[in-house]
Amino acid sequence: MNPASEAGTVFIVDDDASFLKSVARLLQATGYNVLTFDSANKFLHQLVPGMSGCVLADLQMPGMNGLELQEALAKSANPLPVVFLSAHGDIPTTVQAMRRGAEDFLTKLGPKEKLLDAVKRAFARGARERKERGQLEELRGRFDALTPRELEVLEHVMRGKPNKQIAGDLGINERTVKLHRTNLTRRLQVQSMAELTRLVEEAGLFKVGKAE
Amino acid sequence: MLEQSVRAVMQKASTNRIEFLTENLDASHFSDQEHFRLFQDYLGKKYAGQKLDLIMAFPSGDYRLADELPDVLFPDVPVVFVAVNEMEVPEVISKHGVTGIVQRFDLRGTLGLIMRLQPDTRRVMVIGGTSEADRATLGRIEETAQSLEGIEFEFWTNRPITELTNAVKSLPEGTVILLSTVQRDVTGQRFFTSQLAQMLAPSASVPVYVLGGGAIGSGALGGVVVDPEDLGTRTGQIALRVLGGIRPEAVPIEVATKGTPMFDWRALRRWRIKESRLPANAVIRYRPETLWEQHRDLILISLAVFLGQAVTIGGLLAQRRQRRRAEAEILNQRVELAHVTRVSTMGQLASALAHELNQPLGAILRNAEAANILLQKEQPDLEEIRAILEDICKDDQRAGSVIDRMRSFLKHRSLEIKSLALSELLRETVALVETDARARHVKLSLQMPEKLQAVRGDRVQLQQVLLNLILNGMDAMADVADPERQLIVGVETAKDGNVQVSVSDCGTGIPLEKAKQIFEPFFTTKPNGLGMGLTISQAIIEAHGGKIWGESKDSRGAVFKFTLPANKK
Repeated sequence: MNPASEAGTVFIVDDDASFLKSVARLLQATGYNVLTFDSANKFLHQLVPGMSGCVLADLQMPGMNGLELQEALAKSANPLPVVFLSAHGDIPTTVQAMRRGAEDFLTKLGPKEKLLDAVKRAFARGARERKERGQLEELRGRFDALTPRELEVLEHVMRGKPNKQIAGDLGINERTVKLHRTNLTRRLQVQSMAELTRLVEEAGLFKVGKAE
Repeated sequence: MLEQSVRAVMQKASTNRIEFLTENLDASHFSDQEHFRLFQDYLGKKYAGQKLDLIMAFPSGDYRLADELPDVLFPDVPVVFVAVNEMEVPEVISKHGVTGIVQRFDLRGTLGLIMRLQPDTRRVMVIGGTSEADRATLGRIEETAQSLEGIEFEFWTNRPITELTNAVKSLPEGTVILLSTVQRDVTGQRFFTSQLAQMLAPSASVPVYVLGGGAIGSGALGGVVVDPEDLGTRTGQIALRVLGGIRPEAVPIEVATKGTPMFDWRALRRWRIKESRLPANAVIRYRPETLWEQHRDLILISLAVFLGQAVTIGGLLAQRRQRRRAEAEILNQRVELAHVTRVSTMGQLASALAHELNQPLGAILRNAEAANILLQKEQPDLEEIRAILEDICKDDQRAGSVIDRMRSFLKHRSLEIKSLALSELLRETVALVETDARARHVKLSLQMPEKLQAVRGDRVQLQQVLLNLILNGMDAMADVADPERQLIVGVETAKDGNVQVSVSDCGTGIPLEKAKQIFEPFFTTKPNGLGMGLTISQAIIEAHGGKIWGESKDSRGAVFKFTLPANKK
């Protein structure tokens, strides 16, 4: 039952020194690696992309509060899952925090099982998301390998244009269009048109550009 | 008195005017033959040729010597006599042309009276005389005494009266004196019974009872006696009948035996005999007129005035009590209202306080859980566990102090004015709202000089005012952009030595047209406001002898200030 085997750290952020210490003790005793911070800013400054685990944050803090921390973290290079711990949470704040993707929203007086369970889930989610982020990066890396002209052609192909029209739109020879298509399917390692379409969707390319 | 009663009844009943002529033989004092002869001569000459209708005789003393006077001087004139002592009744009563009343001493009545009033009487001293009538009376007393068992009768008849006046001074308890008649004592001296009573009774160590009504008023206690008034009335009635033409022989001589219990009020007092113990028909003489009898009108008027005043005073007192009660009620209501607004203020802080309370409680819980886990390990880190337990204790105290602060603020209590360190109060109040301010993104700061004079006041009430102003200030900044939400609590010593506290916000300020209304009850700009906060604050500050006012700042927001008199020692 030792979750510490999963590499990762619980980053605890709370302005109440006493509570900070007590939660750290509990999690340490349970086997987690723990780092404590008495303000959101200090935590964000020390966070680096390679760190894994989850964030256990108080909601009400002077300076940057819990929700603001969540927002800043989501935009960062390492969007760790967040579990909120509040001394006294109100419903609107809870709803807001959960909508923004918080793993859980707990009260400080809640049972320890709930807390440990939430941390465990957050760790799993963090690992999953990190893996997904890795895959996406690999995928995007493939697209990054395409030349600007190949990307242009791909964009037109995804809009369902025939080669002739693509050649006309780009002011190039139809044969050249065909050459570009062969090259890009080879670089993206796809066998069919259907596979190509799925790959483009997974990488999240051209989502906005369709209306043009 | 007897004579007066006779005259009164006769004058009243008769249509013709009756002329009364009085001659006094004074037989008690002058009993020698020569005196009677001269008196007879005098009367004979004085009334020669006069027509008399009736002779009334009031025998007294040695009447026997004079009993023939009417017969000799006025042979055909009817005679009506009244004798208060049957022993004095002359032989002449059997003669023609004479009638009257004889009062017989009510010995049984008087002795009964003694027994009734002084049941522990063991000895009766009977003082009597040596004349024939005296001895006859004494005989009757002796006869009556035989029917009374257990009481010793002693007859003092052969001692001169002058000697007796000393002897009666030291009679033992359980003794009474019964004064019989002493027409003549052993030395030949003559006495009226009243005179005798006067000589003996005042100095006697025991009460003196008498047989005749005439002696009452001279110090004797009383006795069952003839009521002279009653006797006089009856005598008058007989006289009227004779004057009306009825022959005296036709009117039987009346023997009156029934007496009236009669007492001297002063003697009753002297011998401490309660009136309630007297027979129902008792007559009490010489009772001083009561104040009521003397000054009836004056008393009535005084009483009316007094009553009027009492009613007015009572009314005023009732009014004052009502006012006092109303004042107390107002004070009570103010305390009550202050409490209600404190509760409502605390309600506004409730979520902040719950937060503040949950922090230590949460820490305690996590620490305990951690310790529990540590203890389950094979080699528990005891140092860590000890540290945890210490932290638990600290957090427990922290939670307790939050509750204490809240409770001292909410406590239902009356005003407690004492010297107060304002700086401490300000710090504590700011601490109370700090959590709330943080949640509202308000930057709360306290500006205090290092040295601050103490003030006199009620801690809780002043804290209430401060809280009210601070919360108002924070409410006023709800629509202001975050970085500008600043609330400054300041305190300074004014020029006049008073202390001035200010709470300054950067909110919407006070519109000019509302500047006057804000302290009025139920005026509020908040959707859920009671409208009592500033009203209560004003009442509290004014009760402390200070002033409170609010103004818009030149820049932005409002500032509320209040003054408190410095605690001068």
